[in-house]
Amino acid sequence: MMLIPCPFCGHRNESEFAYGGPVKPDRPDPHAASDEDWVDWLTTVPNPLGPVEERWWHVKGCGTWLTIWRDTRTHCVVEGSGDAG
Amino acid sequence: MSYNASFERLPISACFDLKGAENALVEWIGAEILPGFPTEANRRRSADGLSLDHVGPRHWLLHADIDREDELNAALRPHLAPAEVSIVRISDTMTTFRVAGADVAHVLAIGCPLDLHETAFPEDAVTFTEFFGQKALVRRCAGGFDVSVEQSYGDMMEDCLTRALR
Amino acid sequence: MRDRRLASGGRIDRSRPLAFRFNGKGYRGFSGDTLASALLASNVRLTARSFKYHRPRGIVGSGPEEPATLVELEGCHASANRAATTVRLEDGMAARSVNCWPSPGLDLGAVSQLFAGLIPAGFYYKTFKWPGWRLYEPAIRRAAGLAGAPDAPPPDAPPPDGHFEAVHAHADVLVVGAGPAGLMAALVAGRAGRRVFLADERTEAGGSLLDRRMEIAGRPALEWVAESVAELTSMPNVTHLQDACVWAYREHNFLMVNERSPANPSMLERNWRVRAGKVILATGAIERGLVFPDNDRPGVMLASAAQAYVNRFAVKPGERAVVFANNDSAYAAAADLLASGVDVAAIVDSRDPVPDSARDLAGGIPVKGGSVVIGVRGRRSVKGAAVSKRDGQGASTIDCDLLLHSGGWSPAVHLFSQSRGSLRYDESLATFVPDEAAQACVSVGGASGELSLASALRTGAEAAAMITGTEMPDLPTTTGESYAITPLWRVDAPGAKGRAFLDIQNDVTVDDVHLALREGYENVEHVKRYTTGGMGLDQGKTGNINIIGTIALQKGVPLQDVGTTTFRPPYSPVSFGAIGGIREESVVLPYRHTPVTQWNLDRGAFMYEAGARWRRPGYFLRGDETFQETVNRECRAVRECVGVYDGSPLGKFELKGRDAGRFLDHVYTNLMSTLKPGQCRYGLMLTEDGLILDDGVAMRLGEHRWLVSTSTAHADAVHGHMEELLQTQFPDWSVHVTTVTSQWNNATVCGPRAREVMAALGTDIDLSPEELPFMRFADGHVAGLPARVVRVSFTGELSFEINVAPRHMRDLWEWIMEAGAPSGIEPVGSEASHVLRVEKGFLSLGHEVDGTVDAHDLGMSWIMSKRKADYVGKRSVELRRRGKAVRRELVGLLPADPNDQIPEGAPLTPGGEKRPSEGLVTACVWSVVLDRWVALALLENGKSRHGETVHVRLKNATVAATVGEPVFHDPDGLRMRS
Repeated sequence: MMLIPCPFCGHRNESEFAYGGPVKPDRPDPHAASDEDWVDWLTTVPNPLGPVEERWWHVKGCGTWLTIWRDTRTHCVVEGSGDAG
Repeated sequence: MSYNASFERLPISACFDLKGAENALVEWIGAEILPGFPTEANRRRSADGLSLDHVGPRHWLLHADIDREDELNAALRPHLAPAEVSIVRISDTMTTFRVAGADVAHVLAIGCPLDLHETAFPEDAVTFTEFFGQKALVRRCAGGFDVSVEQSYGDMMEDCLTRALR
Repeated sequence: MRDRRLASGGRIDRSRPLAFRFNGKGYRGFSGDTLASALLASNVRLTARSFKYHRPRGIVGSGPEEPATLVELEGCHASANRAATTVRLEDGMAARSVNCWPSPGLDLGAVSQLFAGLIPAGFYYKTFKWPGWRLYEPAIRRAAGLAGAPDAPPPDAPPPDGHFEAVHAHADVLVVGAGPAGLMAALVAGRAGRRVFLADERTEAGGSLLDRRMEIAGRPALEWVAESVAELTSMPNVTHLQDACVWAYREHNFLMVNERSPANPSMLERNWRVRAGKVILATGAIERGLVFPDNDRPGVMLASAAQAYVNRFAVKPGERAVVFANNDSAYAAAADLLASGVDVAAIVDSRDPVPDSARDLAGGIPVKGGSVVIGVRGRRSVKGAAVSKRDGQGASTIDCDLLLHSGGWSPAVHLFSQSRGSLRYDESLATFVPDEAAQACVSVGGASGELSLASALRTGAEAAAMITGTEMPDLPTTTGESYAITPLWRVDAPGAKGRAFLDIQNDVTVDDVHLALREGYENVEHVKRYTTGGMGLDQGKTGNINIIGTIALQKGVPLQDVGTTTFRPPYSPVSFGAIGGIREESVVLPYRHTPVTQWNLDRGAFMYEAGARWRRPGYFLRGDETFQETVNRECRAVRECVGVYDGSPLGKFELKGRDAGRFLDHVYTNLMSTLKPGQCRYGLMLTEDGLILDDGVAMRLGEHRWLVSTSTAHADAVHGHMEELLQTQFPDWSVHVTTVTSQWNNATVCGPRAREVMAALGTDIDLSPEELPFMRFADGHVAGLPARVVRVSFTGELSFEINVAPRHMRDLWEWIMEAGAPSGIEPVGSEASHVLRVEKGFLSLGHEVDGTVDAHDLGMSWIMSKRKADYVGKRSVELRRRGKAVRRELVGLLPADPNDQIPEGAPLTPGGEKRPSEGLVTACVWSVVLDRWVALALLENGKSRHGETVHVRLKNATVAATVGEPVFHDPDGLRMRS
């Protein structure tokens, strides 16, 4: 059971949150992106062994959609994409 | 030996959901009506039978007795409010359980993962958290806690609390 | 039966005798006993049969490390696979051994010993391969398995009326273990005012001090323990639990504690979920065995266990003992046994020379240095130890009924390792000790390799002083002990023949590990899985290090290079019930009610979950109707006169803001911003990959206020979707979303006579088709209640959705039933609603919408706005449809025989032959308007195949059906617009 830092509420139990998945690049302009780029954006999800930027929805708390960096090897919530330490 | 605690389901109270910038809300509602805005997240300000809970970013809940609902509705005029503020009457949305007694902290801890110790959750604290797996608004009351859950979960919460108190 | 209880001493209460049964026979013990100590006191030596070979086994340990004697508790204590050494004896308790039938003395399964040589490691994997493991698994599980989950208790047993609890806790400092190090740490942290949570798995505090004769500050150590416990009890900031095993150390300092005997007598177990600021691991050390032939015979016991039995339980585990050791600590055990009247025939020490530190402790017991035990005489009970020099010279047999062994001490690093802390091999201790911590924890005392009492007290105090930033207290003086060791991973003297067990519980021998290595399973994790060594309930607490040592010897590498297997929860077995807590019976799953639920129950409605945890009425059985007759009656009411259903569970969200219309245009496929206040529109929401997320209705309440109504099941998904877009993609758009699902309940009156019912209820809203046409809504009063009436229809009939505040819902409902009685109103359940929507071809998420179809497949191209440049999912749908792939499209099916019902989900294949399917039946209902079965299906190129006959392929039959429009009733929608 992780502790997830919510910018409004502080650290809260993982069970208060819904997982929102890794953060993908910004949505491409659907009129400008090539088919390949669009499909790539849709289907390629970051899945690193190490820090990943991901979204969580504090659905049972204040309702904030927040972003954290979590090290997939350790569950440590880390600062930015730097070393998990 | 079962726990020294009991619970009751409270009648509904008046509740309005306020969203938007603090100054826009004050401008629309008028500072004299509100008990003042809490300065910190997950804290409440109470005055004159009203309390204002800061439960999310640019998000407050205004509570009062149910017999003041019409008066507040007239003052807040939800359907006339300007575009940048949202005021919604949600008095029926939650059902509140008052849990009290010497063992109340333990009983709350069966359902709630949040640290409700007085050092972590003082007198004026209020927050949405989890109670028996569902979203719940928790705050202190005399001798215990008031826990509000989405009204449709009320019977289940009563079931859970009854089991927890065994 | 010989009583082996000592006349005095021990931590038992001789004034409180307890009666218990073991394998059907009656025995007596005392309060303070474990089941194991009471059995030993009653001279029961053969207590178990082994897992694989059904070898006779006895009691080996004194705590959770016990590998041999597993029991099943019966009656009100019902529990499976408990180590007898961890079962606190209670009056009336009944237990039996798990691996034998009918008893460990006469075990029919023991014939497998005859074939023991034929069952090496990996035997099952190699042998029972063809045609499939599942054919053999049940028989093998019966022969080799452990106990099953407890059955319903026998009729004469007291009812198991207890319950479990799971509870959250928060601590500044969690101290695991109440031995000398843990108590010292808890005292220092408690005195500093921190919130301390102290949990210990034994029934009383003291840890290893309970088992030994030691002194603190010149007095018996247990006096210091009692004073420390009293001081902790006096601190309101300290929670102190005994018989509470910390069994899991999870991420972010979250630990699980299983309290096995809570004060509440009706509570079976309590599971604490503790979030700790800092964790102090004072889990002590576990003695490991030595590896020699027949080291599993009843009467072969860990030296420390025998020491615990004489000191803590006042039980002599035997009359004449031989002690076999590679270290000094067993000498203290031998001395304690001698002092308790056990004749210690010899200490066999593998070290050569035996260090003076050891000889000083021997106290006159003959010491055979440089010697090893090469065999055990006696099959069902030890009768003697065969001993020789390490080179095989000078073999002799020493008569004894107790063979104690000690291979040294292994710090209980389980929790540290679970927390992902790394371990390092310590040469001087010949064991793995904690290295780098991965979380906010610190190991102290035996758990950190600081085995002596003095260093346990010191490291416990140091850790707590550092965490709390307080001064080190003065430490009391202690008696000294010695733990000098020279490792001996296995006895390999010539003449040492027979099975030498590494893992007694799982019957894993040295030969099995050698075989695994020969067959290429070189990694320690592979050896573990191939041999099952360390995979028992004891998780190899006494044997794992010997497996690692055996691998190291065989491969000729240091133990550090072999490493350990991964430690995982639970440290000791835990009941599933304790993990679940109060989630039992009615609250296993959450459930939601509307204000009408009780009304439904009172009328015998059959209730079930219908999405998002809402319990809804499926149908209202009346008299001796069949299910189908009930559904038909409810459907006919709606089609022919009037029905009413409770639509409260539909998701509802109020949107407010300058950009709300623009936002809705982005999330719906169709255009919403053109609606005028008072109008509503049915809409589809897609996910970005073009699949259907939800269908619902958007209502414009005012210039900047909207109400979005979603399907019941997808309300949360839609809410999350909208908030994610608003908060992450469009943070500068002005839209506020407020959930009002439970602020508005609704009763939907539907059917050709709905208007009559509305008139009878009384309303100030003009409901004429001109003033309130289809897809409009109006606010006003119905039956005197503030209400919003919405003209939407999910049945295809004239419908008025009357929305009121939940506080009025029950009244409204009863008044509708009253006002509708003259018109023949019926309450309508989910089953009838399903029929009504299928007759109309209205789609249902989960039936027609399955994650592969898009709106075009459903014949809803009209809902995919061509005027909007962009909306969620638009690009993906276009992209997918540009390909030439064949699409499955929604069609109606009429079975050739009107009485043929087609199972929902049945495949359509060309000609009904065994060929790849070309579609599937998504719904099939008895239509009351057509008086026949009708179905909806997704069929390849279905839209261009109307009139064709297709075939449903069932297991033993095919059903022919004619393809047509997916609508069976009022195709022009005149009725719902009336």
